[in-house]
Amino acid sequence: MERAIETKKLVMTYGKGRAKVEALKGIDLAVNKGELLAIMGPSGSGKTTLLMILGLVTVPTEGQLILAGDNIYNGSPRDFQKLRREKIGFIFQFSNLIPFLTAEENIVLPMDLVGVTPEKAHARATELLDYLEVTGRARELPERLSGGEKQRVAIARALANSPAMILADEPTASLDTDRGLSVMRLLRKVSTEKGTAILVVTHDERMIGEVDRVLLLVDGAVVSDESQEQSQSEAPKAGPKMVTDNREKPNESAVPVGEKNE
Amino acid sequence: MNLALKDARYHLFKFTSSTLGVSLLLMVVFTLGGIIRGVILDSSTVTSATGADLWVVQKGWLGPFVEISRLPEDYYHAIQSMHGVAEASPLVMAWDHVEHPMKPAGLMLFMYRNARIGTQTMVEPHWIDMTRELRFLLIGYSPDHLGGPPMIVAGRDIEASHFELVADTKTGLQIGEIVRLRGFDYTVVGLTKNMVGFNADPVIYARLEDAQNIIFEPDPDLLRNIRRRRGGQIGGAEAVAPRLVEPIARISSAVSENLHMINAIAVKVEPGVSVEEVADEISHWKHLEVYTAARQVNMQLMGANRLILMQLSLFRLLLLIIAGVIIGLITYTFTLDKIKDIAVLKLLGTQTRRIYSMIIQQAVLMGLLGTLLGAMLEFASEPYFPRRVSATLGDMGQMLVIITVISILASLVAVRRAMQVDPRIVLGT
Repeated sequence: MERAIETKKLVMTYGKGRAKVEALKGIDLAVNKGELLAIMGPSGSGKTTLLMILGLVTVPTEGQLILAGDNIYNGSPRDFQKLRREKIGFIFQFSNLIPFLTAEENIVLPMDLVGVTPEKAHARATELLDYLEVTGRARELPERLSGGEKQRVAIARALANSPAMILADEPTASLDTDRGLSVMRLLRKVSTEKGTAILVVTHDERMIGEVDRVLLLVDGAVVSDESQEQSQSEAPKAGPKMVTDNREKPNESAVPVGEKNE
Repeated sequence: MNLALKDARYHLFKFTSSTLGVSLLLMVVFTLGGIIRGVILDSSTVTSATGADLWVVQKGWLGPFVEISRLPEDYYHAIQSMHGVAEASPLVMAWDHVEHPMKPAGLMLFMYRNARIGTQTMVEPHWIDMTRELRFLLIGYSPDHLGGPPMIVAGRDIEASHFELVADTKTGLQIGEIVRLRGFDYTVVGLTKNMVGFNADPVIYARLEDAQNIIFEPDPDLLRNIRRRRGGQIGGAEAVAPRLVEPIARISSAVSENLHMINAIAVKVEPGVSVEEVADEISHWKHLEVYTAARQVNMQLMGANRLILMQLSLFRLLLLIIAGVIIGLITYTFTLDKIKDIAVLKLLGTQTRRIYSMIIQQAVLMGLLGTLLGAMLEFASEPYFPRRVSATLGDMGQMLVIITVISILASLVAVRRAMQVDPRIVLGT
């Protein structure tokens, strides 16, 4: 299988001296194209820090990140904005659609940012709206969409530029079980049919059944990285540990070493 | 995709109400500009309308509209005969008044009441009462010479040799109305528009002889008194000092000779002749002072109106600064409302310049729309101001450029705030 993203010995340290906090302790991770991975763990386990590094928002203290075969921290300084535009799609807990753009315009936006012509962007947006079954809501502003519809549009936005990887941050947390499952099935469908690697940070154990693999982080280290097949076969004795419902907060006051300012 | 326009359309009420507020402020800036131009035009209207290249007055006096000089009327013949002079016209001018209580109605009444309310703690009782006198600048001219009314907007020019007037519409006088001046009745036969002196008093035109009578003729009672005293002095002198009889008789007759005085001579130079050369020639005359038209306007504008011009200009500058601060604050609050959206845009990889451009474009859009709306409001309100307010499309063009610069500068604070937005705020929340 072709690799979408790979990390080697990712270390993230906040603060210095006695205040030093090691948020990630040498994370090795490889995600293939078309794979749907859930990243789980208790509060403070480093999920969000890992998400930020994978999303090229934060630079790790140490380690390597290889995105679509491209070693990000090797060689000349990289344009992270450009990489995010072209290679990464984001899905957020509250969809975070731009409120002054219609559903279609929200999908067109990432394409507009990379210079796709309006005609092509419109055609692609129409195709994605149809694929995610929200065609009839194309002209609506986000405030007029339901939570599930918003997440579908957000998924369409993340898919707009056919990224190598989609990072989803608690995409089901604001939805009820049915809508949450529906969104996870959509992500499953996208990863399978479009061949996109999708990494979902979640606390929601109800959604685990839809993913290929579960990565369990505790105190900045991977304690479990199992496929569903492995998990099911070992169900009586192991399986990913369910985590508490406490949300992890990034350490906003601390300044990560080597962080890129934007 | 223009994010600035999309956002403005989404927050339509907020954007339009903010723009309206800016436009009202800019309307005041425009109006001040119009008032400044009005003062300038008022200071130059009569001088410019006369079409004279040179103004000749009594030696040591400033121009005819700044200080009232006196010259013998026949001096203009001598100047007329000079080489290079196309025309020399005798003029008399003086500020005068008639009893003509105002009957203000509508907006003017409101303005009076507003002036009273606005100043009642600053002045003594009756200081701001409605005026009972109509003040005006009387200009006497010779027919077919320089200095007459430049354009009659109603009625006709003066045709009779005596007792007719052309008044400016700002006097409130109507055609056919009788005005009593120095014991004689004059009929208003025509009206001009915007012909005012440098202090905005309206102009009334009369024939030269009529104006001389009005301005120079002493009060009839005073005249009788002087003649009676001079007669007594001559009688007494004949008895005791015959050599004094002749000087006393000369003084007595000078009272009537005073009527043949003028205040200034307006000179038009022949085409192709240097104005400065003719002015230089006249300046060698012992009893005459000469000013170019530009110098004459300069004395009027920067004499009496100098301080008010500077005051208004300073106030306009302050208002522009305030407008800039307000645009900056509005843009800043707009940006604060979009912090999360900006974070999402950053996370999606939106180019930094595009985000800043969105903020700056909104500020500039608000400034430009505010300028256009403010200009329209100003143009619509000009006729209702008591003094001349004259903003132009040129002012609007100039303001568009200034406001664009101010808006860009004002939005820099908001841009700085946007620069500080961390895209991580939308992750892990």
